[in-house]
Amino acid sequence: MAGEVVTETSIVPAVVFLLPMLAGAIVFSATRLGRTFQQGLCIVTAALVTGMSAWMANRVVHGVVLTTWSGELRVDALSALMVVIICGIGLLTSVYSIRYLGERMAEETAARRIRIFYGLLMWFLGTMLWGCVTNNVIMLYVAIEATTLTSGLLVAFYWDRRALEAGYKYLMLLTIGITFALFGCVLLYAGAAATNKLTGASALLISEIRNVAPFIPRGTAAITIAFLVIGFGTKAGIAPFHPWLPDAHAEAPTPISVLLSGVMIKMALYALARTVSIFYPAWPQVTIFLVALGAFTMLLGIILALTQDDLKRLLAYSSVSQMGYVLVGIGLGTYLGCYGGLYHLLNHAIFKSLLFMCVGAVMYATGFRRISELGGLRRQMPITSACFFVGALAIAGFPPLNGFWSKLTVYLALARAGLWWAAVIAVVVSILTMVVMVRAAYRVFWGERGSSNTPTSVVREVPARMWAPMVFLAGMCALLGIYPQMPYPLLNRAAAVLATLGR
Amino acid sequence: MNPEALHTGLIETLSLTLVITSVAAVEMRRLKFSIVAYLCQALLIVGLLLSFAAVNHALYWWAATALVTKAILTPWVLFRAIRGVDDRELKPVIGFGPSAVIAALLMLGFYHLTHARTTLLAPTAMGQLEVFRTNLAVASTVFALGLYAVLTRRDAIKTVIGLCLLENGVHLSLVSLAPGLPETALFGVATEVVVTVFLLVYVIGGVRQEFGSTDTFRLHELRW
Repeated sequence: MAGEVVTETSIVPAVVFLLPMLAGAIVFSATRLGRTFQQGLCIVTAALVTGMSAWMANRVVHGVVLTTWSGELRVDALSALMVVIICGIGLLTSVYSIRYLGERMAEETAARRIRIFYGLLMWFLGTMLWGCVTNNVIMLYVAIEATTLTSGLLVAFYWDRRALEAGYKYLMLLTIGITFALFGCVLLYAGAAATNKLTGASALLISEIRNVAPFIPRGTAAITIAFLVIGFGTKAGIAPFHPWLPDAHAEAPTPISVLLSGVMIKMALYALARTVSIFYPAWPQVTIFLVALGAFTMLLGIILALTQDDLKRLLAYSSVSQMGYVLVGIGLGTYLGCYGGLYHLLNHAIFKSLLFMCVGAVMYATGFRRISELGGLRRQMPITSACFFVGALAIAGFPPLNGFWSKLTVYLALARAGLWWAAVIAVVVSILTMVVMVRAAYRVFWGERGSSNTPTSVVREVPARMWAPMVFLAGMCALLGIYPQMPYPLLNRAAAVLATLGR
Repeated sequence: MNPEALHTGLIETLSLTLVITSVAAVEMRRLKFSIVAYLCQALLIVGLLLSFAAVNHALYWWAATALVTKAILTPWVLFRAIRGVDDRELKPVIGFGPSAVIAALLMLGFYHLTHARTTLLAPTAMGQLEVFRTNLAVASTVFALGLYAVLTRRDAIKTVIGLCLLENGVHLSLVSLAPGLPETALFGVATEVVVTVFLLVYVIGGVRQEFGSTDTFRLHELRW
């Protein structure tokens, strides 16, 4: 468990989200400068914020909590973990997108739209980072809604029938969902203010609300929790609020799919955990509800994934399922559960980004994304196929890869809490995940080519700027599998923030 | 804060008119009139905020924000969206008669709920006062009507209007639930609604180009 914490004022939490915002504004306004400048600026910015996130993680591991703007921004271990994930995946995605984007577009439309893409990409990263460093419960809502707004046009980027439908659904459903979260946040604030233990604006700070949560009236707390779960759960892809997810993840350009699936839905779950976990000590029955919701999500997600032929939709439904694991872990409220949940959150960010990048590589090389249209790609695309296999085995929880350890932790936490039914569902879903992922990998890279009539000789391995991020992520899957104790210092403190129900 | 300074009669009248404008915004078949009804509602909200501001001076800022975002920018974006196209709404899933009954039932239900169980929603001492209870009942009704419009209307522009009603409901409830909210937070919340409407209308413009209509029932490329 974490020891004493020291609060330290630092400007870095502000810079880390304002820098990408500024970079985005520059990309939008610099119409004269070319594509290389835009891409270069984005990668440099992403690299800078990754460095800052590593610095913050290092400070936090040594027992420091960074705050600024009189407590408005606050980075503890949980925030630092999220910031590291967002920055790391953001950097890799920026590198990956250089070659991926503009491949299927005419030159004149590409020039204008790629500028919009990079501008919005930077704002998307910036708003996600803002949501993770803010300590103000209303600003948390504002930041999360801002991530929807910045990514809405990215989802509809290709502007064809499918992309427009996905974009419309994405903006509509998420805005409705998140409005419930606004109600929840406002009630949380009103409930905290009504306890008369907090003065003025301090009732807006989540770190202060934590202390008065047991005094919030029972009825208000119940409604608040319900609204927060519906609101942030919609954004996190928790069943039954998930229908926007497969459409948006599948129709967005692959770099955006990576960010949506790898980062954004986790950031919403972070918001859910951050706000709902303050009620655990006074109302432990909430944890059973969250575990049941998580178990339902993982089961429904994997059943829907079983029926998919479209690779991107398959991965999207698998994301729904994996978010169920994270919710089950975090929802338990025990130290072991939160550790497992957050560890799985980290691992899922790694292997789901990897898998989406691999599918993007397959689409880049062949132009197809349906399993029935693909087959036998292992000869032409050896690096992609190896990376996809690593990702598929990791997500299925195959030892010694990273997914195994985080899933094992979640099983153990469930068993220790005596929730055997949930543990059984989790194991069954894990086996189904193995079936879904390994079958897809086998058909695409080993099996016979289906109805496709593209000559095999045309298909080539993707350029290095695309496979390098993939190889890095595959390496991380193996590394975290062999040395599962590596992220322990950060995860330990992050889990301690959420684990309000003891070990 | 002195509750006696409130013009209770005026507030109750404005609140009731507000519900009528919501029903009108949902039920009008011509989108143009529907947007006008929404505009009226926005002006009523500004009026309500001003009358509440007699006891809470921070609400003058809220009223100014609401005037700019809800009464000027949002209707402007919506009017631009229907300019030059046939603005007759596509036939909704549920017609006028049942809708009116549903609206009335919602209002009665929320009025009963907020008067019988205020502590549930507004745990503040101020929230127990009659005017604030009425305000909460009206806010919840507007919210529910917005949700109802989003769920049952086929026309994409109409669903956007429903979304605006939804947001109006939340904003109204803030008067009772969170009167001490700083202006920056409120400004952020209000701005995002306008940006959301703008983006949705922009995407719907693309949908109209590609699909030839704004019928959400024809958006069925993506299933399962």
